[in-house]
Amino acid sequence: MIELQNVHKTYRRPTGEAVKALDGVSLHIARGELVAIAGASGSGKSTLMNILGLLDRPGEGSYRFSGEDVAHLDVNEQARVRNERIGFVFQTFHLLPRTSALENVELPLVYSDRHSIGGLGRKALEAVGLGDRMHHTPAELSGGQQQRVAIARALVNEPDLLLADEPTGNLDPRAARDVMAIFQELNRSGRTIVIVTHDAEMAAHCNRIARIENGCIVSDEPVEAPKRTLQETA
Amino acid sequence: MKTTRMFRHSVRTLGRYKLRSAFMMLGTFLGIASLTIVVSVGKGAERKMLATIRQLFGTSSILVMARGTQFMGGPRADAARLTMDDIAAIAAELPQIEVWDPQQAIPDEPVRRGDAATTARVLGQSERFQRAWDRGVTRGESFDASAVNASARVAMIGETVARRLFGAQDPIGGEVLIGSVPFRVIGVLQPFGTDLHGMDRDNEIVVPISTLMRRVMNVDTIAAAKLIVNDRASVAANAAELRKILRERHAIPAGRPDDFTLLTAVQIQKTLAKVRRVLFLYLPLVAGVVLLVGAIVAAALMLSAVSERVGEIGLRRAVGARAGDIRLQFLIETAITTLIGGAAGVIAGYAGAQMLATRFHLGEVFSWPAVLLGLALSIATGLLAGVVPARRAAALQPADALR
Repeated sequence: MIELQNVHKTYRRPTGEAVKALDGVSLHIARGELVAIAGASGSGKSTLMNILGLLDRPGEGSYRFSGEDVAHLDVNEQARVRNERIGFVFQTFHLLPRTSALENVELPLVYSDRHSIGGLGRKALEAVGLGDRMHHTPAELSGGQQQRVAIARALVNEPDLLLADEPTGNLDPRAARDVMAIFQELNRSGRTIVIVTHDAEMAAHCNRIARIENGCIVSDEPVEAPKRTLQETA
Repeated sequence: MKTTRMFRHSVRTLGRYKLRSAFMMLGTFLGIASLTIVVSVGKGAERKMLATIRQLFGTSSILVMARGTQFMGGPRADAARLTMDDIAAIAAELPQIEVWDPQQAIPDEPVRRGDAATTARVLGQSERFQRAWDRGVTRGESFDASAVNASARVAMIGETVARRLFGAQDPIGGEVLIGSVPFRVIGVLQPFGTDLHGMDRDNEIVVPISTLMRRVMNVDTIAAAKLIVNDRASVAANAAELRKILRERHAIPAGRPDDFTLLTAVQIQKTLAKVRRVLFLYLPLVAGVVLLVGAIVAAALMLSAVSERVGEIGLRRAVGARAGDIRLQFLIETAITTLIGGAAGVIAGYAGAQMLATRFHLGEVFSWPAVLLGLALSIATGLLAGVVPARRAAALQPADALR
């Protein structure tokens, strides 16, 4: 599903100094995998995440998504791919303030070409166990609940790929385990999920861990016995 | 479908930032309100002025007014020396004077009929009053030359006087006391309404000038005279002649000021042009500056909103908004706020204009062009104020915005 071939990305600091964020990364992820991309900050994992999510372009190398060369699509076509086929979950949730959970979840639908969007937001919220919090605003929800709203938002358009950037970074341990349990459950029902994290414990919940250091993948191996957490409803 | 969704979404977003939206509206509101007031009142005032001037002055008249020489800072009534003979002599010497009508007046004279009492402006005019001032009677008749020659005690009264003294009764043939002199009412004057000074011109009584001068006021000078020239182009020339004759008759040595004032249609037009310039250039300009300030405030607020909402913009891009969608959203947001502010401004402005119009008797001031201009300008303000913030928002790179 994801075929990243020898991807390089170099940034130029305002001082003019060039920084190699990715230095020849190749990564293949098949449909239905639950992969952790683990690395310290500054290792290049955020850049990798941006490229996987079509928020940034590789400097060199190729990126095929479901067999399609997406690295060279124009910006509007990339926006469409993001809208229809990729769901994002962020460390800081990025929920719209003063906006109900339901409306937050429906945000991707605002930009979709779908004719009717009725009921999709409700369905996605129910899928993450927040059917009874639909009209709460983010300020009225706990951190774990906010992240679940964000996951519902990522799911609302039935994407092929779920990309999560440090999804548990702002959560207390219990809420973090809940969120990982949701990812595992979504994965069991067939969803492809890539989680970027620096947290070894969270990475251990995945089926495969790719470690990145200084812009290179240094190890990439399956996890023998992924950590399981009984999902507790918060 | 998608556009409707985006539009609805933008409207709801505005509702979430009520204070900011309110301040954005305020600027446009004030600008459009002042513009609407200025334009509406200006139009009303202009219409009123033109009507009054046409009614009172025509286009080829000369107004001569007696002016007492100044004494110790105040006018000396007995120094006014304009007489009936002066005007008659002028009319005789200037063949182009077609009609002339002398005038004497008491601004506030007690008038009574039985128990009913009021005060009214009493005008003394000649039998040529109707021709000179274009104002006849709706009931009864005007007085003729014989009434003037005989200093007859006959009067034409305005509608207000008729109502106050006679109520629902027919005033024709009735008797009124002007001061202490009894007059017989022979006619009711055509309604005039209020003039530019807000004076009720139906609270007037017109009597033969000879009667007023001799029997009521006991004076032998007149206050003013209106002379109509038969050719519009020669008004200025006649006015110059007239001035020469009057100075001669009053024996005013060269270098001394006139003891009278001349007013011609040309001069009135000049004054009018000045007034129009204020009404339609300077005042709208001031209102325009207010609107511009409003637009700048809206733009600044929207710009700060963009930097405040960087994360939100990044998120929207991530979930599939194109740069164009972001630009559109910010444009819609500013356009809607300023349009609402503008619409409220039009309503408030119109209400204000109507209040001023009632206060100054300008009649109806509602004008569709003013309303449409206000709305169009408020949308223009919004687009103008929204363009820069919208571009800045759309130019954000999604990856940078999410950082």
